[in-house]
Amino acid sequence: MIAKAAPAPVTVIGGFLGAGKTTFLNRLLTETTSRNAVLVNDFGEINVDASLIARHDGATMSLTNGCVCCSIGSGFLETLGGLLDSGERFDRIVIEASGVGDPWRIAEIALIEPGLQLDGVLVVADASRIETLVEDRRVGETVRNQFAKCDVVLLSKRDLVTADTLNAARNAIRSVRADVRLEVLSRDMKLDQFLATAGNKSAFRADGVENGVTDHEEGFRRWTYRRSGSFHRDRLASAIGSLPSQLLRLKGACQLDGERRPLVLQMVYGDWSLSPAERVRDNEFESIALVGVGTADLPPDDVLEAILDGALM
Amino acid sequence: MSKETAVFSARRIITMNPSRPFATHVAVREGRIVAVGSEAELANLATAGRIDDQFKEKILLPGFVEGHSHIMEGMMWSLPYVGAGDRRSPEGRLVEGVRDIDSIVVRLKQAEAEIKDPNAPLFAWGFDPLHIGGRLLLRQDLDRVSTTRPIMVIHASFHISNVNTLVLEQTDLLRGANISGVILGKDGLASGELQGIAARFRVFRALGGNPLSGSLTPADVARYAASACVQGVTTITDLHNDLVDNTIALYKEATRQPDFGVRLVPALASVSNPPEQAIAKVAALRASNNDKLHYGIVKLVVDGSIQGFTARLRWPGYHNGAANGLWYIAPEELPRLVDIYHKAGIQLHIHTNGDEATELALDAIEAAQTAMPRLDHRHTLQHCQMADAALFRRMKALGVCANLFANHIYYWGDAHYELTMGPERAARLDATGTAQRIGVPFAIHSDAPVTPLGPLFTAWCAVNRTSSSGRNLGRETEGLTVEQALAAITIGAAYTLKMDSMVGSIECGKYADFAVLEDDPLAIAPEKLKDIGVWGTVVGGQAKKAPRA
Repeated sequence: MIAKAAPAPVTVIGGFLGAGKTTFLNRLLTETTSRNAVLVNDFGEINVDASLIARHDGATMSLTNGCVCCSIGSGFLETLGGLLDSGERFDRIVIEASGVGDPWRIAEIALIEPGLQLDGVLVVADASRIETLVEDRRVGETVRNQFAKCDVVLLSKRDLVTADTLNAARNAIRSVRADVRLEVLSRDMKLDQFLATAGNKSAFRADGVENGVTDHEEGFRRWTYRRSGSFHRDRLASAIGSLPSQLLRLKGACQLDGERRPLVLQMVYGDWSLSPAERVRDNEFESIALVGVGTADLPPDDVLEAILDGALM
Repeated sequence: MSKETAVFSARRIITMNPSRPFATHVAVREGRIVAVGSEAELANLATAGRIDDQFKEKILLPGFVEGHSHIMEGMMWSLPYVGAGDRRSPEGRLVEGVRDIDSIVVRLKQAEAEIKDPNAPLFAWGFDPLHIGGRLLLRQDLDRVSTTRPIMVIHASFHISNVNTLVLEQTDLLRGANISGVILGKDGLASGELQGIAARFRVFRALGGNPLSGSLTPADVARYAASACVQGVTTITDLHNDLVDNTIALYKEATRQPDFGVRLVPALASVSNPPEQAIAKVAALRASNNDKLHYGIVKLVVDGSIQGFTARLRWPGYHNGAANGLWYIAPEELPRLVDIYHKAGIQLHIHTNGDEATELALDAIEAAQTAMPRLDHRHTLQHCQMADAALFRRMKALGVCANLFANHIYYWGDAHYELTMGPERAARLDATGTAQRIGVPFAIHSDAPVTPLGPLFTAWCAVNRTSSSGRNLGRETEGLTVEQALAAITIGAAYTLKMDSMVGSIECGKYADFAVLEDDPLAIAPEKLKDIGVWGTVVGGQAKKAPRA
């Protein structure tokens, strides 16, 4: 393998058939200020102004703004693998999950593939239908599962519904995920903000923890954990298992006893991975530097620290 | 092609044509059947009066039609086989099943010793813990094969795999991940069992690629045809294919060879194209059909598998309480797709394992038929394993065919009895008897390579309805007679492919395609059906002795 660059952040876009994923992706492709690779289920639905298309070779569309759109067809893993093998660098990889798929299954790839890091899972929900869909006899379970581990729910089609229906849609989603961040999409919104905040900004990057980042998100609480020394691997695994469920994510660099290289820990909703750090920062004062995000009722820092301290050597 | 007329004699010819069910002689010219009858009736047709007696002691049946299998069967044989059931390789070699962990390790060690490059990964296929009493294949078992070479065993389902410790270390999965697809062992470390796409993606990238996702080769197609010959099959499907340009070119080239030994029926995977493009693609492909290549079918996959708990079931769901399965096509999307294809005159083959998926598919076909009645569409439900009598009555009313997965009764019947469906529903799993009583046109199939290719074995399953542990699953109520089962692997399957005017019975005008058998299936005990020797086939009048390695 050739020398690696920093892993590419991945955002997964989920949502049931007809939720508005394609509209969202269409806007994302054309309005974005970053260079995104976007993997979509069906090219036919992508409707980009012809003047923006620099090249179109059947399975890949290159836009003049640097974005690339790849058709998944029937081979999602091959498409993603091909993108990684191409060696092209992108600010972000955005993957559209199938309308009946579970976006978390795709997110897991970004947790364990060294060239990728998981930034977030967004689920788009149709405000006019979601209340019915979550209770539907045939697809209710599928729809509810899509919300199970997402970071943000984006309510689409606001202009089609009354305030009451919008409220009912909110309540329907809250009934599945009381804690989830909910946003209503509108035409004048900048979509990049959702991608950036899904993973809680650059402070949440796996390769380090920055200080002084203010948290704009209401209803969420941030927690940082810094120690010198190293973790015991097995005790760390059980410590992660005993962290409270209000801690939604935990990410950062750490040192493990007996390992020469620093490792990157990514924990999202209880699922976690430890993978070799791609780069070691110059000013490495602490060997353990993790940042967590939880709901507002996250237990106090000292409670959380005690759990992880139990895993120190 | 020779304009001469060859007259073959046989011990008996079972024609599967009810208006002349048995004969002793068949006359063949230009690859087709001129006449079927007695020596006295046919002798004067033979060029120079010569009767070809090479099959004098054999039994001829119409060449078997495998209505649901995959070209993957031809690709798998490049890898060692570690499943529990016996299989015949394309070379005709009996590859015995390995029925415990020690035997699997021995088989893998042999394969390992044959790989020269010490770093090249060893892949194997066909394992299913349900076939060896639920015993899992752990990384420690595979470490007995090698600790220095990556090893990956792909399950019969293709969705799960087992790897050795080396692979887990190379991918940081041994102790470095807690995700749903990495199954932990008793020691808290990864057990080596990997499920789902994330772990598969990670491992295949680390090992340098999936050995089964490469481009199709002429050797793969040749092996598929050879396996067909070994099993007496003369018409075979490839029932879910993206049909990329390379595949199309290979199929065209292979089927143009005069001695190519099987008629190939590929179905275009709906998921590979939006419907409008798929319709145009099938139309273009149909124009390139030849006598051994028959495009025209589009395949839709609605749900998953029953033993994988991904099939969609109606109330009360899985016997053991497992959560309902997965939709691969959204329930509101299916009617739209069916309607578009139906209106375009396409024949659909629709994968539905669970009864909720079957019901949904019938709802979609009913809506399409109501919007635009189409005679003789022959849309076919594939697997259709859990349909009850009421669903079969709807199939009958709508003109829908079924291709039932009879091999499941043997391979997963015990799992269905104990875990997935419980005793009552397991006894009408793949309800061939119900289909016969209600009059739904039906076939039975292997889904090779998921289960071994072999229509006589498939027929044996439908007649005897015995699970691998010997449990009787509705033999008296859903079992077929031998005659009915033979129809299901010949004319019945041909009907589901809209090829019954060309193949499926031995009668005047059809292709001279025969299965050449050593014994008479109608004269032996029904329990012996699977043990009948297959000499080989005749395809378009050309005799093909099956290889015996």
